[in-house]
Amino acid sequence: MRKWLLFFLLMMSVTGLSGCWSKKELSELAIISAMGIDKNEEGKYVKTVQFVNPGNVSGGLQGGGGGQGPAVTVYTAEGDTVFEAHINSSAKVSRQLYHPHANLVVIGEELARTEGVNVLLDVFERNAEVRSTTKLIISRDMKAGDMMKMLTAIDHIPAEKVNNTLKITEKMRGENVVVSLQDFIKWSTAPGIEPILSGFRVEGNLAEANKQESVMQMDPAANLEANGIAVFKDEKLIDWYEGQTARGVVWILDRVKQAEIDLEWEGKKDAVVYQVMRQNTTIKADTKKDIPEITIHVRAEGAIREVTKPVKLDDPNIIAEIERAAEKEIKQQLQKTVERTQKNQSDIFGFGQAIYRQNAKKWKGLQENWNETYFPQVKVNIEVEAFVRRTGLRTNDHLSELEKKQSKGGE
Amino acid sequence: MVSFFHRKKRAKESQTRSGGPEKKKEQLLEVSLAANVDHIRQKTGHSQDIVIRMLKLGSRGEMRAAVVYVKGMVDSQTIYDFILESMMTNPSLHDKLTPEEAVQLLTEEAISIGGLQRQQRWEEVFTSVMAGNALILVDGIAEALAASTQGGERRTIQESTTNVAVRGSKEAFTESNETNIAMIRRIINDENLWTESMKIGRVTKTDVSIMYLKGIAKEEIVEEVRSRLKRIDIDAILESGYIEQLIEDKTLTTFPTVFHTERPDAVAGNLLEGRVAIFVNGTPFVLVVPALFIQFFQSVEDYYARFDIATAIRFLRIFIFFISLIGPAVYIAATTFHQEMIPTELAIIVAAQRESVPFPAFVEAIIMEVTFEILREAGIRMPKAIGSTVSIVGALVIGQAAVQAGIVSPAMVIVVSITAIASFATPSYAVAISARLIRFLFMFSAATFGFYGMILAFIMLILHLCSLRSFGVPYMSPMAPLIPAEVGDTIFRKPLWAFKRRPNQLVSNNQVRQADDQKPHPPVKDQKGGGRDA
Repeated sequence: MRKWLLFFLLMMSVTGLSGCWSKKELSELAIISAMGIDKNEEGKYVKTVQFVNPGNVSGGLQGGGGGQGPAVTVYTAEGDTVFEAHINSSAKVSRQLYHPHANLVVIGEELARTEGVNVLLDVFERNAEVRSTTKLIISRDMKAGDMMKMLTAIDHIPAEKVNNTLKITEKMRGENVVVSLQDFIKWSTAPGIEPILSGFRVEGNLAEANKQESVMQMDPAANLEANGIAVFKDEKLIDWYEGQTARGVVWILDRVKQAEIDLEWEGKKDAVVYQVMRQNTTIKADTKKDIPEITIHVRAEGAIREVTKPVKLDDPNIIAEIERAAEKEIKQQLQKTVERTQKNQSDIFGFGQAIYRQNAKKWKGLQENWNETYFPQVKVNIEVEAFVRRTGLRTNDHLSELEKKQSKGGE
Repeated sequence: MVSFFHRKKRAKESQTRSGGPEKKKEQLLEVSLAANVDHIRQKTGHSQDIVIRMLKLGSRGEMRAAVVYVKGMVDSQTIYDFILESMMTNPSLHDKLTPEEAVQLLTEEAISIGGLQRQQRWEEVFTSVMAGNALILVDGIAEALAASTQGGERRTIQESTTNVAVRGSKEAFTESNETNIAMIRRIINDENLWTESMKIGRVTKTDVSIMYLKGIAKEEIVEEVRSRLKRIDIDAILESGYIEQLIEDKTLTTFPTVFHTERPDAVAGNLLEGRVAIFVNGTPFVLVVPALFIQFFQSVEDYYARFDIATAIRFLRIFIFFISLIGPAVYIAATTFHQEMIPTELAIIVAAQRESVPFPAFVEAIIMEVTFEILREAGIRMPKAIGSTVSIVGALVIGQAAVQAGIVSPAMVIVVSITAIASFATPSYAVAISARLIRFLFMFSAATFGFYGMILAFIMLILHLCSLRSFGVPYMSPMAPLIPAEVGDTIFRKPLWAFKRRPNQLVSNNQVRQADDQKPHPPVKDQKGGGRDA
């Protein structure tokens, strides 16, 4: 019995000792939704932290005056290192900073151009609380801190709005890529490939955008929009790609899910809209010559989405012609991207990796000064196969019927 | 400490001994009827319900006799028709007789009742009278005839209220042992269905019967049940729960190691698997041993439904059990330790709700759980007319006011409600109530160590369950120890035609349950494989 008593007392003391070890109530946490990093004039890092105001997000529940104030609150702190800035920010917040729900890190363009992104990431990678799947973006033409001080409609938490926008636009348009913290780090440390990031910019009146009234209007004062792909070289941002050039990068990386391509038809520009629904891109290296040759093979399948001029879509020959036109157009677009990138001397496509996979020995010789010396000289062949699989609900357009009617009327 | 408890126990024992009725000496009936009647009157304290009917036998009525019975315990009609009337009118009884001959005549000719016993000892006599037998005493002989005339008002066979099934027999056991045993006999018409009866309880002398299928039930288990029942020496057995608590393998557990049911088909099914049933007079709850953990998640209906449906439902029950066990604990652990595990949107919603709640999640959960338990208990004990008031007040207090006042969060209300519903959905009340108790342990461990603590508690629970035995059969079998052949009737329920064998652990040697090739198939018309059209 004494043994049991002792055991019981021991057990009790264990629970007493543990107390509330690492216990944290949800209401004691400041849930961080996004973080931004800039550098100010004095050369200090400025960390902007965006907190969720839970009561204002899930509006109208109970107590707390749901939906009264803004969904997020922003605090700014500075320090000589990112971590110091982080610690300093705790002086302004009444709760424990809580990172696991932060899913966005914004880096100011200026900082990315001067210092690069990698130096800033160690602090995030090291912290157990920060998810390695946190997404990374660059705030274009503005400080990250300013970008975070705006409210967004529909998705009340700006970080979520950014993430969702990025995800959807990558899928629908193929001009941006979703890059997470770990993606970026892996990407930048891997040999034979350089990282890219998506940019976001603010359209509209930024000064008005941090007020609640802004999102209460039908047309918010400002809007956050995915815009461009940031190209890095030697860890620093060197160029922005936009539109078709940006999509070319995404395409060569084989991340395009959907893309719309406007084709010229019988002299009319943008007469046929071809949407790629499925595609597969492979990069192959031919390492027989001194300077390797790269072949990009694209196989795209898609549908006709729009015609602005009568086209006989029930004719297989016409369809075949459209396919050829699409192939030509895609090839042209990719070529433009490749040329510009070779000029930038940054192998964001991973041609180096393709060479390494093909011939590891050869790659060893090329590895040094790959970006500067060899990459711009690589001959790139682009082969495109495009197929039209569907023409939508209509075969022939009603425009041709309209034409027929008019021509009859004219007789 | 040890000796202290022992001393206490000993003291208690001696108390019951002295307080209870003393063991009688072998007291025999006397020859004189008057003395016997007097003795009965005296022993029963002249109780009004003990009827002593004096009558005369013999040629000139020179022989006196008496019929003794307890009012209400007997079927009066039987006494009038088959005892009193025949004794008074049977011509041969009015010849010149010796008492010995009279008794002989009574047994052989006059009394047309099935059960008739000659008794000499007072102890026997009293037991049989108190059990509802009619006693016939004849002057001049130290013997009594006990005629079984049990009857009186009883509850009729009704539908089960605790083990409700959509499909299957609607009959449920009653309070009468004979009726209950007969109900099983009606299902299993086999001479190997054996019963043994005994009287347990010094004062109540309750009829307790065990029933098993000879040749199917394992002899050791039957013997174990027998010896455990024999060991019981207590003043009263008021319900089968008394027996259950006195024959358990382990008392320090919240889990039931004896199965009880109100349904005859459930008992029959268990007997056929080689289990032993214990009937206790005065309760419709029949005990079945040995009980396995998984048995409490099974319902008779599982065997009446097709196997796919039954399996799905069994999975659901296990899931329900887990919800009722760890529902609030998961909520506590997730909101106080592992906020990163909650999806962001949900975390924000929960955080918003918790914003205005003044208590930590654990305290909040405890408040709600205790409130719910109070409501539940009140709902059960309240008279039916007031019961609805309790539920209305409860719904308003918990569901509305507490949330509006900001004392508890709506999420907590949802968690507690789901847990509550889950605990009611467990087929066995005994397991549900033990889950309800262990839930607090889980909540406590979740509040101190988070999921880590819950896992520790869970390991402890599993170890505890694996350590249990029910009449020597491991409680968690056939999962632990794993008996692959029997897993087909645990969480799964294999098709009925695949139940080739009875459970190994329970059955002695008669293991084959059905013939081979029991799988039904469409009619085979001809060998070439042509269907109906061919």
